[in-house]
Amino acid sequence: MISLLRNQRVRNTLLQVLYVGSLSGLVLACVMIARRNLAEQGITSGFDFLFKSTGWDVNFSLLPATANDPYWWYFLIGIVNTLFLGTVGLMLATIVGTIVGLARTSSNELARLLGRTYVDIFRNIPLILQVFFWYAVITHLPTPRAAHEAFGMLLTSRGLYLPIPNVGRAALVAAVVAIIAAVALPAWLGRTSRLSQPIGERLGIQLTAAATALATAAVILAFGRLPDLPLLDFPALQGLNLKGGLRIPPEFSALAIAIAIYGGSYIAEIVRGGFKAVGKGQMEAALSLGLSPWRVFTLVRLPLALRAMLPILANQYVWLMKATTMGIAVGFTDFFMIVALTINHSGQTLEAIGILMTGFLGINLSLAAVFNRVNKAIALKGNQLRG
Amino acid sequence: MNSTQSPGAAVHIEDLDKYYGSFHALRKINLCVQRGEKVVVCGPSGSGKSTMIRCINRLEQHDGGRITVLGTELNDDVGNIDGIRREVGMVFQHFNLFPHMSVLENCMIAPMMVRKRPRAEAEATARGYLEKVRIPEQAMKFPGQLSGGQQQRVAIARALCMQPQLMLFDEPTSALDPEMIAEVLDVMVTLASEGMTMICVTHEMGFARRVADRVVFMDGGEIVEEAPPAEFFTSCRSERTRQFLSQVLGH
Amino acid sequence: MEMVIVAPPTPGRLEDLRRRFFATPLQTLLSLISLAIMVFVVWKLLNWAIFSAVFTTSGGPEACQAAAGACWSVIAARWRIILFGLYPFEEQWRSALACIAVVVMTVLSCIPAFWTGRRIALVWGTGAGLYYVLMKGGVLGLPHVGEEAWGGLALTLFIFVTTCLIGFPLAICLALLRRSDLPWISRTTGLIIDGVRSLPLISILFTFAVVLPFALPQWMVGDKLYRVIFGSALFFSAYQAEIVRGGMQGVPKGQEEAAMALGMSYWQRIGRILLPQAMRNALPATINQFVISFKETSLVVIVGFFEILASGNAAYGTGEWRFAYVEVYAFIAMIYFVFVFSLSRYGAFLERRMSVGER
Repeated sequence: MISLLRNQRVRNTLLQVLYVGSLSGLVLACVMIARRNLAEQGITSGFDFLFKSTGWDVNFSLLPATANDPYWWYFLIGIVNTLFLGTVGLMLATIVGTIVGLARTSSNELARLLGRTYVDIFRNIPLILQVFFWYAVITHLPTPRAAHEAFGMLLTSRGLYLPIPNVGRAALVAAVVAIIAAVALPAWLGRTSRLSQPIGERLGIQLTAAATALATAAVILAFGRLPDLPLLDFPALQGLNLKGGLRIPPEFSALAIAIAIYGGSYIAEIVRGGFKAVGKGQMEAALSLGLSPWRVFTLVRLPLALRAMLPILANQYVWLMKATTMGIAVGFTDFFMIVALTINHSGQTLEAIGILMTGFLGINLSLAAVFNRVNKAIALKGNQLRG
Repeated sequence: MNSTQSPGAAVHIEDLDKYYGSFHALRKINLCVQRGEKVVVCGPSGSGKSTMIRCINRLEQHDGGRITVLGTELNDDVGNIDGIRREVGMVFQHFNLFPHMSVLENCMIAPMMVRKRPRAEAEATARGYLEKVRIPEQAMKFPGQLSGGQQQRVAIARALCMQPQLMLFDEPTSALDPEMIAEVLDVMVTLASEGMTMICVTHEMGFARRVADRVVFMDGGEIVEEAPPAEFFTSCRSERTRQFLSQVLGH
Repeated sequence: MEMVIVAPPTPGRLEDLRRRFFATPLQTLLSLISLAIMVFVVWKLLNWAIFSAVFTTSGGPEACQAAAGACWSVIAARWRIILFGLYPFEEQWRSALACIAVVVMTVLSCIPAFWTGRRIALVWGTGAGLYYVLMKGGVLGLPHVGEEAWGGLALTLFIFVTTCLIGFPLAICLALLRRSDLPWISRTTGLIIDGVRSLPLISILFTFAVVLPFALPQWMVGDKLYRVIFGSALFFSAYQAEIVRGGMQGVPKGQEEAAMALGMSYWQRIGRILLPQAMRNALPATINQFVISFKETSLVVIVGFFEILASGNAAYGTGEWRFAYVEVYAFIAMIYFVFVFSLSRYGAFLERRMSVGER
């Protein structure tokens, strides 16, 4: 027996069986106990509850939602909300981060100082504190009766009210797609034709493409317009409340602003790191070829820096996506809050936690897959930059 | 512990086989090294000579055959492996000194932790061996502050501090600048003259001629030829050996 | 021979300014924009925070609300709640001492002389022990104060320190298990680490606070505070394990082989050869992880703890100070900033020192 324990192979097998066995035993025991405890409270385990109606409301949803909707629909709403907030947050954060990051790498000392101060301050204050702060600021804005007004937008403690075109839902979606195309198409054209055409000709093609897409958007909007209403629906005071327009609730804006500011400070550092990673030699080589500083930037420095940033940026985006769970702090019904509410109302604890884990695993994996593809597509071929 | 057929042998290798995945790195190696014997192993790179001596203290696990070291069979028994490693010293191509410890600590750690020697005794031994490799004055320095040759001599001292019965050298001079090779070889020659059992993988044919009792030539994972140096260098039998020798000695 | 040393002409102060900030039109524009932003923000901030601010509580909230600037009276009136939460008023000196003990401990562990496993463990063990005795009492004539009464900055620090104390050894274990030669052990551990890393911290805290009591036998449920700390430690360790593993990958393979050849056992190799070198490699990233996890302690507010953020909400949330939220958040932000900024500066300093020093 003792000599058997001294045998390396026996030992290795034993260790692995013990480790995996005890871990899975632990998990199994927890699940068993939980099932028993829940059964005592009259909660039957299983996923049948997904098809029951919830009986409670959500305060923010891109999809139509009523209290009669089943749980699975609510989970979907939660995921869409999370993705929407995450996307808006990380787009804003990227814009902020790019500006601050460029300021940090600029040759101007004042701009550098400004960028550095920004990063030092906002990176070192917890995100949730910033969320609370902005939420407090927005909910302390004047009531609808005394709202701040600018360009037809209303700024109130109930949220931000934007004018919205009076068009059908389908037309609106189509128009948004067309507008996105107006931005994406020229960029894509620029990528595919690379340096093969003279710059002027390429610019012409790009402009035409953008103009066509924009015109399409205008046509769609014109045809999808709801009859007998003005083109734009302005928010206006009716009694004590505001009617019309598009309301962006304070929960959403507080989260989006906080994520933009906090995430921006991290992205700024990534941007700076990316530019720092570009070798001096490459820039000197480009300058010595007689390229103008602008073309050195767009043709050499930026593409190389982007490649250096992207993997780190990907991690940051995944992190930002997970940061949307702070919604629960101010009552924004993101995916996590829906799960928490589900546990509160239905008691289906294990199933809800399972759905939560699967959901985030799915979000993480798909984001990772997207970034891997992008990374592979733009990776430098071969290994000329090593060493 | 299992006893062996030839109790006098320091290392007895029978039909040793070793695979890396599907690559057959060692093919049916047979080698017997007596106590007090000095064996030099040479051969082109990738011939399996490093792999073979790394099998002797189980830095590599063999897949077939038997290895018996100092009367103990090297098998899956953990006690046997520990016992053999205690008695077998090894010197590496890249020194592998512990960079976070001083030279003295490098030499003391194993006797103290493995042989449970008291600190004072371990320090005395360590200083003794540092003297022997002719760098007593560097004891308090860190490895990063020494030259390659000095580092390799510390590595030899570190291995000797365990008072091993057998020393393995895995290309000890290959990573050194030419002017430092001699100082390391000198230490090795002294060690050989004191009767240490040694197995050296090296391309230093001068060293082989001077100290080796036997030279083993390996190629393609096999032992091609085995002979005393005088015979090996003058009248080798195989064509591969002759070709290798002409390349090593040729310039 | 006569040597004439010709110094390069030193530019005048004006010329120097021109070169640095107004060399090209673009530079001039950038400088002017930056300058304008800076002057505007700094002026607004100073005006709000100092020139037009009210500092005394004498006028009460009304005088404060009327002022154009900040109302620091709210801090003067409520700082004890923010720092110590609901801790009994007469005993709050203990809470303050406990905070100081933790700060001293952190500073000590930043000094290289304490960077051996034993000393670091000693410092942290003493610090945490001192904190616990001071806060909990029940011995040495100190009245007993239960965990449910802990709050404010003291609770934040407690959660941070215990998270690290539990999380760090756990991280090392996870890292060792993940790099194990035994495939099933490394795979299972990898699954755990990646699983935890893919989840948001809030969901883990929520699970440990709310869901776990269902899944544990009665005697194991314990206090909610310790469950949450364990959850946060688990999260910390999953990230830290990857950092430690990165540090281990930076240690050449030959190091372990040399230790093996000397006959050292697995634990001797790990403890004396691998870990000391790996931790050194991992130090900058580790400090960074500490910074992140200090900021993340603020998330426990969501599962209902009265840490500094919640106590801040309470400080302005009730009655007469409702309008003074900006001041309270600014005060809390300052506290976080002092801790986090100094820690991250220290990390940056270490990184520079190490990149200059021994490679």
